[in-house]
Amino acid sequence: MNPLFLELTVVLLGIALLMVEAFFPKLCKKRLAFVGMGGLFFVLLLTWLPMSSVSIESAPFYTIDNVALFFKRFMIVTTILTLLMSLDYIPVIERGIPGERLGAGVGEFFILPIFACASLMWLVSAVSFILLFVSLECMTVVLYISISYLRKDPKSLEAGTKYLILSALTTGFLIYGISWIFGVTGTTSIAHLAESIVLLPASSMTPLLFGTGLILVALCFKIAAFPFQFWLPDVYQGAPTPITAFLSIASKAAGFVLLLRFLEQLYLIPTLGKKVFAITTLLAIVTLLFGNLAAMAQTNMKRLLAYSSIAHTGYILMAVASIGAALAVPAIGFYLVAYLAMTSLAFIVLMIVTETSGGDEIYCFQGLHERSPLLAAAMTVAMISLAGLPFSAGFFGKFFIFQVAFQQGHYGLLAVATLSVVAGIYYYLKVVKAMYWKQPSETCTPITLSKLTTVLISALIAVIIILGIYPTPILMSLQ
Amino acid sequence: MITLSHYLMASGLLFSLGLAGVMLRRNIIIILMCLEMMLSAVNLSIVAFSRYSIVHGHQNYDAQVLVFFIITVAAAEIAVGLAIIVALFRSRQTTHSEDLNSMKF
Repeated sequence: MNPLFLELTVVLLGIALLMVEAFFPKLCKKRLAFVGMGGLFFVLLLTWLPMSSVSIESAPFYTIDNVALFFKRFMIVTTILTLLMSLDYIPVIERGIPGERLGAGVGEFFILPIFACASLMWLVSAVSFILLFVSLECMTVVLYISISYLRKDPKSLEAGTKYLILSALTTGFLIYGISWIFGVTGTTSIAHLAESIVLLPASSMTPLLFGTGLILVALCFKIAAFPFQFWLPDVYQGAPTPITAFLSIASKAAGFVLLLRFLEQLYLIPTLGKKVFAITTLLAIVTLLFGNLAAMAQTNMKRLLAYSSIAHTGYILMAVASIGAALAVPAIGFYLVAYLAMTSLAFIVLMIVTETSGGDEIYCFQGLHERSPLLAAAMTVAMISLAGLPFSAGFFGKFFIFQVAFQQGHYGLLAVATLSVVAGIYYYLKVVKAMYWKQPSETCTPITLSKLTTVLISALIAVIIILGIYPTPILMSLQ
Repeated sequence: MITLSHYLMASGLLFSLGLAGVMLRRNIIIILMCLEMMLSAVNLSIVAFSRYSIVHGHQNYDAQVLVFFIITVAAAEIAVGLAIIVALFRSRQTTHSEDLNSMKF
């Protein structure tokens, strides 16, 4: 099968759903979400069909290797999870949108992530700066709309505006960097970047480094590495929770795939590679320190998860800095899968607790085990896995990354990472302590879960524990 | 004689002006205009690079396609951005970036 059909199907699915939503306004919006999820699941199954190589017209732009296929599946699963979360979020959306009738504007909330998914699927296959830029911007524009979706909620609009300005600014940096790299090498292809750089005279190294720096700034913004992370806590706090989860998982993974594709080329050129990887190591160290230290002081759960997401960026950057090791790419892939499972679990519990206790502060979690044992257990598993304790997916994620960093001899980096793991255990277990050992501040009412949510939460717990015992399948699919 | 470096200087100047505007101005609409200016500066530099890079006796048109995409993306960004700013003004009666401070830790 031609791999381009995958993205095409997803786009057509999105357009069809938009049409249905426009012409049948009385249709139950939940059905749209289920059709969307069904369609995405169908595309997920299609990815296991044997793929033909890409046709000659699109060949310079598009690649279908193991990494691309793996992350296409990753993006589809993330989108399905986002849609599942959105089902529980419908009451908040209905309250958040000004409309003549109840339910106006809910349908698009389910359809927008599908378009974002299609552009992310293109993004992970991009081997040309042109496709990279276009698909990245497609995703970003969809995210602008989704983040500021709750128009009656000033926080959502504020988050949307901040994301809009800062993201557009980094777009400027990205494209200016691309223009300089094109100017020096004369090619817009990422896949043949190294071949063109080797032929260059030594005098063109300075503009090349300038362009590389600009692109690194833009990608560091997407993955929220240290000096460019300032947007993240505000945006996470203000955005609708399912979109926060999508932003934190899919957008970050996309940033890392691009970083990998770009840095793999630079790694092939020793003189340039050395400089770039020294910078990456430094970025990993400061990101780890900043994310973990700032997370310790947080009292708001969404902000805690935001800072923890910065800390996880630091861990993955460790593997990016050790790109020469054979297992670096599988380690990053595995870490992102573990991150997908544990972060979405944490966000699902957070979303339900916020709805039933009216706030997302950590004290709202007090006495959760009396209100709903399943939710408390799920949050505990998520926190244990985020902290990287054994028998959870997060443990192996950190283990593989420490292993590749050790193989490449980044001992200073390893020391910092070990310290941050200890700091992480402190602030993640603070949440567990609040759930089990603190009395609830108000009268505690039991939380009832819908059947679908119960199944979803149990499945995610199972995935985290199974990957914590048997991580081989994920690693194999990336080798 | 106008050479590549003249174009690059002009585009660098435009880019820095836009960047300075984004950093210094407080009105979100002006910030958006400055962002557009940065993208136009990039367009200028790409077209100049493309015009002056001769491969096998032909100009390299690859990047000029990118310019069309940049123009399209900039338009989409402005369309969505202005819509967000209108919604923000309706709910907060302000377009000043200093007033966006309801979330601080």
